[in-house]
Amino acid sequence: MSEKIFNIDDLQNIKVEGEKYIILQIGPSHPGSGHMRIKVWLDGDIIVKVDPDIGFVHRTSEWLSERREWIKAIPIVERIMLPDTVHANLAYVLAVEKLLGIEPPPRAQYLRSLVAEINRITSHLYGIGIFGIFLGSSTVYMWAFGDREPFIDLMEMLTGARITTSYIIPGGVRWDIPNGFKERAETVLQYMERRLKDYEDIWVKNPVVQARTINVGVLKKEDAISLGVVGPNLRASGVYYDTRKHQPYAAYPNLDFEVPTMKNGDAYDRLLIRVEEIKQSIRMIRQILKDLPEGKIIADQIYNQLNPVMKKNYEEKKRVMFPAFMIHMRPPPGEATAKVEAGRGEIFFYIKSTGDKYPYRFRWVTPSFRNLPFFTHVAVGHRLADLPTIYGSIDYFPPEADR
Amino acid sequence: MNEVRKPRDPVTGHIKALAKGFKYLLEPNRMTLDYPAETMKLPPNYRGFFTVDDKKCIGCSMCEMVCPPEAITMVPRIIGEGGKTLPAPEGEKETKGPKRTKRPVVNWGKCIFCYFCVDVCPVDAFIPTQVHDVAFEKDKDYRPSYEEYLKPPEEPYKNAKKVVSKADLKRGVSYEPAP
Amino acid sequence: MNFIPIPLIIWLIEDLLYLIIFPGLVTILVLVIIIIWLERKIAAKVQMRFGPLWVSKKIGGALQSLADLLRYSFQEAIIPEKADKLAFILAPGLMFAFATIALIFIPVGPYYSALFPSYYTILFSVALIIITPIFAIIVGWASDNKFSFIGALREGFLLISYEVPFLLSVVSMIVIFRTYNYISAVQSQLNFLPGIILNPLAALTMLIVMIRTTGRFPFDITEADSELVLGLFTEYSALFFGVGMATPYVELYNFSLIFSLLFLGGWWPLNVNVMNPLYGLFLPGLVVVIKAFIVMAILVFLRAVYPRYRLDQAVRSGWSYVLLLSVLSVILSIVEVMFLR
Repeated sequence: MSEKIFNIDDLQNIKVEGEKYIILQIGPSHPGSGHMRIKVWLDGDIIVKVDPDIGFVHRTSEWLSERREWIKAIPIVERIMLPDTVHANLAYVLAVEKLLGIEPPPRAQYLRSLVAEINRITSHLYGIGIFGIFLGSSTVYMWAFGDREPFIDLMEMLTGARITTSYIIPGGVRWDIPNGFKERAETVLQYMERRLKDYEDIWVKNPVVQARTINVGVLKKEDAISLGVVGPNLRASGVYYDTRKHQPYAAYPNLDFEVPTMKNGDAYDRLLIRVEEIKQSIRMIRQILKDLPEGKIIADQIYNQLNPVMKKNYEEKKRVMFPAFMIHMRPPPGEATAKVEAGRGEIFFYIKSTGDKYPYRFRWVTPSFRNLPFFTHVAVGHRLADLPTIYGSIDYFPPEADR
Repeated sequence: MNEVRKPRDPVTGHIKALAKGFKYLLEPNRMTLDYPAETMKLPPNYRGFFTVDDKKCIGCSMCEMVCPPEAITMVPRIIGEGGKTLPAPEGEKETKGPKRTKRPVVNWGKCIFCYFCVDVCPVDAFIPTQVHDVAFEKDKDYRPSYEEYLKPPEEPYKNAKKVVSKADLKRGVSYEPAP
Repeated sequence: MNFIPIPLIIWLIEDLLYLIIFPGLVTILVLVIIIIWLERKIAAKVQMRFGPLWVSKKIGGALQSLADLLRYSFQEAIIPEKADKLAFILAPGLMFAFATIALIFIPVGPYYSALFPSYYTILFSVALIIITPIFAIIVGWASDNKFSFIGALREGFLLISYEVPFLLSVVSMIVIFRTYNYISAVQSQLNFLPGIILNPLAALTMLIVMIRTTGRFPFDITEADSELVLGLFTEYSALFFGVGMATPYVELYNFSLIFSLLFLGGWWPLNVNVMNPLYGLFLPGLVVVIKAFIVMAILVFLRAVYPRYRLDQAVRSGWSYVLLLSVLSVILSIVEVMFLR
């Protein structure tokens, strides 16, 4: 399948001619396509060429963000990466903070890592669930989506919203952890650890799953690097790269965790690595809740601008309100980049300010977009039934790729 | 990580999978909520529908400015009709005579419940509620007038059993009657 | 009045009763409705949720499938312009009809069957059951849809690769019982041991073939929704779709009846010798149908455990493991017969 090392340029070089092939239009309205169209050339049951047609859910997030105040981009980037909202929010805020020159206090850093890890678990469960339904197992689909629920309840308890939390703002976070949160989180983590064993029996080590995924969609280490794949899919191919380790942000420098890597780079490895990352995230949440430092959850520059009503609210309800600065924020001219390891891979942000009240240039690359070569390169040579396996195993999320 | 990958032999694998499925078939483990018959009492900081305190609001338009989807419109409002003195908002002097001011109205069709407006309000005039499942029958209902907007949102399924969710070691989420 | 042949009338009434009421069409309908509901409920239980509930909440949503059937009946039937209209309309009906007709050769009691007790009932019923998937292929071809077409091809591949093991497993039971007749087969089980103990290999083969032919998981390959939308029935709507969806369950019912007759001892523990309307006719039938229902319930439970195999894996295992298993079961039967003699 992937015998040679791919060249980035030969994305569309596979020429297919003649009437020998069945051309299958999978999507955009198809149970196995998501919000995209996958055009597949089939020679019998073998895939000859795949042409993923993306852009069906393009939402002009960059255009919208360049015509709004800085703070208003937070909900916009969240809605692009719906299963992974916190990371998009965090990446954007990190870039803005670099422009503003604000450093959030340690407690806020830890809380950011806390929600990020909770969100990573929900994101991976989302991926596992979708993978399950793509292979036909409705049980894993329901289980994974059900098991997101305790974690989403934690987010709801902390931030007041289940998915689109808008929790992280320049300078800190919006709410401190409420009473009873730690106990509840510990229960949820123990529950998840127990459930992972059940997943192992019914899904990960199920002989049917192993037959469907082992040696399917192999992406070798060199190919993964040259195609620019990111995130768990890259690590499943054996590349030790994780932004949390290599360019740490938030509380990650202080946390003790491992970056799991696999060797084979097939669909089974990509499934396993998500399970392993869930275990690491559980470990990190425990550490964060144990080591959570005391102190403010918002930087002093922001806190000092709060009016007396807001300060009273902060002391009583542990809730950060927005000073007028948030609306009229005008970061000094300059450029900033930020990288965040999201559930599906690395988000990259580039923001340019001219000192105006809107961003001058707002550019971001989402992990799903960078995992697109799996369709064009890895799927070729497999059977038609392997296309959902590959699609599900890379945890591709079309709205995220389309932005 | 290779010990994780080690495949299980098919016979054991099938038996274990079937046994686990059978175990889940027998033991009580439901984690879903029988929604319209039971509704959840949400945590106090849940971001639901919100209304505004007419007395507290000073008509400063900050909420309109911060609203990311531009769902908030400021509508003109005259307070103190006929020159009567109104009870003054907290911490302000009494004003005399009719006064032109503005009040926010939220278009629920656009609102994304980010609560930026609630947080930016310098006098904390918004009144948040935990109501989140209001259904609108007509397109017009999305855009209430100011008087309609002032009324607190009505919760559907008033006869439903109120429950609170609780983390559970066995089911993940379990529900118990709300206090 | 002397010339009215009374035995003939009794026979006719009995036939009609058999085909229409029990265990014929009405029973099939009720059982299909119950088994679809049960399938969803079992899956829901394993998946930690309610399943169908709000249609008839007091009895756990048992009328959900009936409601679905009603919905299918009143839906607009859309026939694609380019479809082969005759085949498109007829094929699901014929599929359902042939799945049902196989029942007339399956007796559910020693004195209760649809036709004159034939000596070759096993062969006839098996032959009729094998015809059904051919209409499935016609369904896939008639829709003029690539997904249906691929589904039909898959059905064809699987049909061929699992027919031989199925026939061989039946043959091994014929060898053991030394009869082509269900009634004698059951009688010999009553006298000795149930078939599942006599030849567990054949029982296992038969179970696998049942799962495969009726499209249960993990062999839900012809309507794999993540690549083929709905496989054969992608273009179908309304009652055509309802009929097409119900057919695998009817097949499942037939297979389960055969399984309980050949392997589970038929109407065991009842040993019927009396020609009595209640005791001789219906009670044995009830026992057989209950056994068949339990087999069905076990097979629909698999949905909650397995994802699906790939086509080539299923075909390969059909021609290797399952075929080997069925050949071994025939050998086992021959050895047993020689040994028992």
